[in-house]
Amino acid sequence: MESFTAATVTTVNETELVTRAQNGERNAFSELVRIHARGVLNVIYRMCGDEQTSEDAAQEAFIRAWLNLSSYRPQTSLRNWLYRIAVNAATDMLRKEKRILPDDIEDLQLTDGRPGPESLVSQQERTRLVQKAIQSLPDASRAVLVLREYEGLSYQEISSTLDIPVGTVMSRLNYARNLLKAKLQPQLSLLEVEHV
Amino acid sequence: MSNHVTEWLNAYLDGELTNGRLHQVEKHLAECEVCQAEFDSLQSLSGLLHEVPAPEFKSLERFASQVNLLLPQKRTPPPQRSLFEVGWWMIPVGLLTVWIFISTTILVSDMVSAANNFGLLDNTTASLISEPSDTATWMSTLGQFGVLRGDSLQWAETTESYTRNVLPQVVLQVSVALLYLTWIAVWWVRQTRQPPVPLLEG
Repeated sequence: MESFTAATVTTVNETELVTRAQNGERNAFSELVRIHARGVLNVIYRMCGDEQTSEDAAQEAFIRAWLNLSSYRPQTSLRNWLYRIAVNAATDMLRKEKRILPDDIEDLQLTDGRPGPESLVSQQERTRLVQKAIQSLPDASRAVLVLREYEGLSYQEISSTLDIPVGTVMSRLNYARNLLKAKLQPQLSLLEVEHV
Repeated sequence: MSNHVTEWLNAYLDGELTNGRLHQVEKHLAECEVCQAEFDSLQSLSGLLHEVPAPEFKSLERFASQVNLLLPQKRTPPPQRSLFEVGWWMIPVGLLTVWIFISTTILVSDMVSAANNFGLLDNTTASLISEPSDTATWMSTLGQFGVLRGDSLQWAETTESYTRNVLPQVVLQVSVALLYLTWIAVWWVRQTRQPPVPLLEG
């Protein structure tokens, strides 16, 4: 009951903040930025894989949100609306910077996947490889994967956020995961060995 | 084991399946090693993806302040109702007005006819409201020429009278109702869809 009340109050506050921001009140918009900054930064970071680029793209995303706030409909989720802008901003930022694909992504296939002390990469190295594998995905599939895996959005929410049918969400997610499984096969094998 | 459920494993992993499909996948996984192995690999992948930590971004307060400083000084004025928007909301109002007008006209017409039938109106008023007897003209003409006779002539005259008097009213009301329902459908679609966010240049 308490959480329901808290959520209701948050929604009411957010609706009020949106109305005030739509009327040009910058402080109200700043409050909205504070509320949603972490989520937007995370989405963009998962899309870009670079901290500094993420902050630049997040700033760009919030500026776009400010400029287009009049087109936002309060009946829909502000978070999801911001996520859509964030995904667009991240994609544009990567294009602008002529995304440099990681050199060693193809080398992942060559890594020895057999269990053994010599083939165990450090946690940090594994993290780096996973991140690079995610970066190698096509933009459309990566956006769906990020919203599902890291932000926990439902298929329906992803569908409305990215304005694509639920069937497309499913196929893109399927494609992304299959590609990642193939690229990260050695790491997955090591993970299974560690968990045995 | 046939009828693998591979295509539903992602949705199953994400908790997106319900009812029949959920039971089908659960039952199949309990029996099929191939699909179970595939599902395990999906779970491992999800675990691996979550090993990548989110970075520690700078203070959100500072980030919000920076964004505030970067916001354009002059933004577009708050949304004003465009002519299109006003016209859009006038559609249901207009349709309801037309429907009320039609219904009222029919009701008044029926009441006056009933009053006339009961002889409650004087001759002058009755002559004013009584319809010119041009109904069933075609059928009467056919009757005069002997094409239609007796029951068939009476049936044809009744049909023509119905077609001339009642059918237009029904068609008109149904058309108004259909237009209104179409408007509601379009309104619902507009409500559930967020307009695309225009991209900035650069």
